[in-house]
Amino acid sequence: MDLFLQQLLNGLSTGSVYTLVALGLTMVFGVLHIPNFAHGAFYMIGAYVTLTVMTILGLHYWVAMIFSVFVIASLAVLSDRLVYHPLRNASPLQHMIAAVGILLFLEALAQVLWGADYRRMETSYDDVVHIFGLTVTEQRLLILIAAVVIMAALHWFLRKTMIGSAIIAMAQNREGAYLVGINANVISVLTFAISGALAAAAATLASPINLIFPAMGNLVIMKAFVIIIIGGMGSIPGAILGGYLLGVAESFGATYISGDYKDMIAFVLLVIILTVKPTGLFPGRVH
Amino acid sequence: MVKIRKLQLLVLTVLLAFSLTGCLSQSMDSTSAGGGKKNEEEAKTETPEVAEGEKVVNIGYSGPLSGPAALYGQNVLNGIEMAAKEINNSGGFKVGGQTYKINLVALDDKYLPNETGTNAKRLVQEKDTSIVFIPHSGGVLASQVFNEKDEFIIGAYTSEPRIEKQNNALTVGIPPKYSNYPEMFSEYAMKKFGKRLAVLPTATQYGKDWTETLVPVWKKMGGEVVYKTEIDFNKETDFYSTVTNALDKKPDVLFVGGPSEPTALVMKQAKQLGFKGGFMVMDQAKMEEMAKVLGGYDKLNGMIGVKPVRENNEPGTANFVKTYESKYKKLATSESAFNYQSLYVFVEAMKAAGTVDEPKKIMAGMDEGIKNLPKEKSIYPLEGITQKGGFIWPPHVAAVEDGKVVIIEGDKK
Repeated sequence: MDLFLQQLLNGLSTGSVYTLVALGLTMVFGVLHIPNFAHGAFYMIGAYVTLTVMTILGLHYWVAMIFSVFVIASLAVLSDRLVYHPLRNASPLQHMIAAVGILLFLEALAQVLWGADYRRMETSYDDVVHIFGLTVTEQRLLILIAAVVIMAALHWFLRKTMIGSAIIAMAQNREGAYLVGINANVISVLTFAISGALAAAAATLASPINLIFPAMGNLVIMKAFVIIIIGGMGSIPGAILGGYLLGVAESFGATYISGDYKDMIAFVLLVIILTVKPTGLFPGRVH
Repeated sequence: MVKIRKLQLLVLTVLLAFSLTGCLSQSMDSTSAGGGKKNEEEAKTETPEVAEGEKVVNIGYSGPLSGPAALYGQNVLNGIEMAAKEINNSGGFKVGGQTYKINLVALDDKYLPNETGTNAKRLVQEKDTSIVFIPHSGGVLASQVFNEKDEFIIGAYTSEPRIEKQNNALTVGIPPKYSNYPEMFSEYAMKKFGKRLAVLPTATQYGKDWTETLVPVWKKMGGEVVYKTEIDFNKETDFYSTVTNALDKKPDVLFVGGPSEPTALVMKQAKQLGFKGGFMVMDQAKMEEMAKVLGGYDKLNGMIGVKPVRENNEPGTANFVKTYESKYKKLATSESAFNYQSLYVFVEAMKAAGTVDEPKKIMAGMDEGIKNLPKEKSIYPLEGITQKGGFIWPPHVAAVEDGKVVIIEGDKK
């Protein structure tokens, strides 16, 4: 029983990070129909920016996170304005190629700027806590809590603010949104900014329990794509559910099936869900 | 709707392609994958200044200089480069009355054996190199197919014993083979911590081979394996669940390994989850790098692994560590040290053989070269070379006890 709960906790903490990354990805896809492969690179740069301002400027972890959120949001907006926006009338294939291009560029840039070494982000939340016989580090608890807080804030923003509603309107029906006078450029900039911000937040949360290196984004982005396909491309509840589902499935799969098939579980899950519900759990559009 | 479905299909296809290339390169790598995406990158050291009457001898290198394994490849290259520059700055070396300077030609193979093969061919045909350093088993095995015919010596920096089984007359195995370690590791760990072993190596060919060498030794000594899996450092974002499962079987000792930093993280997580036993660490992970990433040797208590280079007592050790660290601004590890010392041995062998471009004669001069190695360039005690071309080093093993490095003496070869 202890093992079960411990693995559930492990799965949820991994799932939280997956979810945050998948949320940004699914929003960009839902609103702009761009499969943003560069999202993993935003995640990676986000981790490096946090680490750099923490070590060079000596900023506190949370302050550094906010800084990084703004930097990566701007980076995402920049990539939209410089790359995706000029391609808005091109075919999806070109979007995809552009996305992979940005990914490779950012990865190479990180290697030039920070080197190929593995880095570690030290925080003061490294202590072990025991709750109900379970072992967990403070950082993992923080990930769990912060993910929920960020999701709640996103929900509030999309539901209760005018701009948020405009984003949803845009995702539901582009022409309709244009007709009622929603500015497509503003929405696209905002969507990219939010997605970048989420990536930076996720990276900053996950880095202290992981290592920082130029290829770190690839690990997460693969899983994030699986999640948004499982959840229904463009669906926010789908990304949340899919993220936790994948995290927990991985950790239980490793425990009760076999550790050797851990990586396959994501794809088996994908096959099963697409067989039963070909459009994903929450098909269609941003809800 | 149709558009979205089409896009979904497209994304799936790309995803599949990504994961396939990931698997492809990973199955051949020994540390990491995904290198195939980068452009070819050529890193050359500056051509040495040649005075009148001096000649240049080209020494080749083919290893990962981009992609996830770049760090490792760079460390190896740094060692060779440092030796080459030292030799050039001290006026080169003399073979049969002719002074030579070294021009190191480094090519990036992204850790892919097929690229190593191409690079080695290029080096021999365009640069006429008679020695090519290759720091990974896949690349070595690929080049062993044609190096005898094309006449060049492979400076093989890999602890994989299989490279010796090819009976290749022109291969020099630089580092100690890992088949030396299992007995010493097992003996120490079993005596100190107990007989229950959980095996969690890196999911690469190197990791599998290491495990296959270790497990029989452990069982022969009366131990049992209570849990066995692999950790794929290229795919897994979090090792917590794997470590939790391993610890659930109540092991006394964990066998871990892979690149230093992620391996250190696995150990850290095991300790966080309450593990109090010992760790046997594969030779790819370097104690000093692990201590650096975790913030001190006290975080590594209970581990046995390869000895940090600075713990050697050879005449050249201290000087090498100091010079290397001030020059490259990073920790000196065995990767750089072994290759540094090897280039000096090769140079001595060329002197002894009286030629810089006849590989067979150079090979015949290796014994002499090892004897003539200047004392101050000896970082590890090099005892000789086997019939099969492997350097003979005494085992260099150390453990960490109470936050201190303890040298484990062994007389087994």
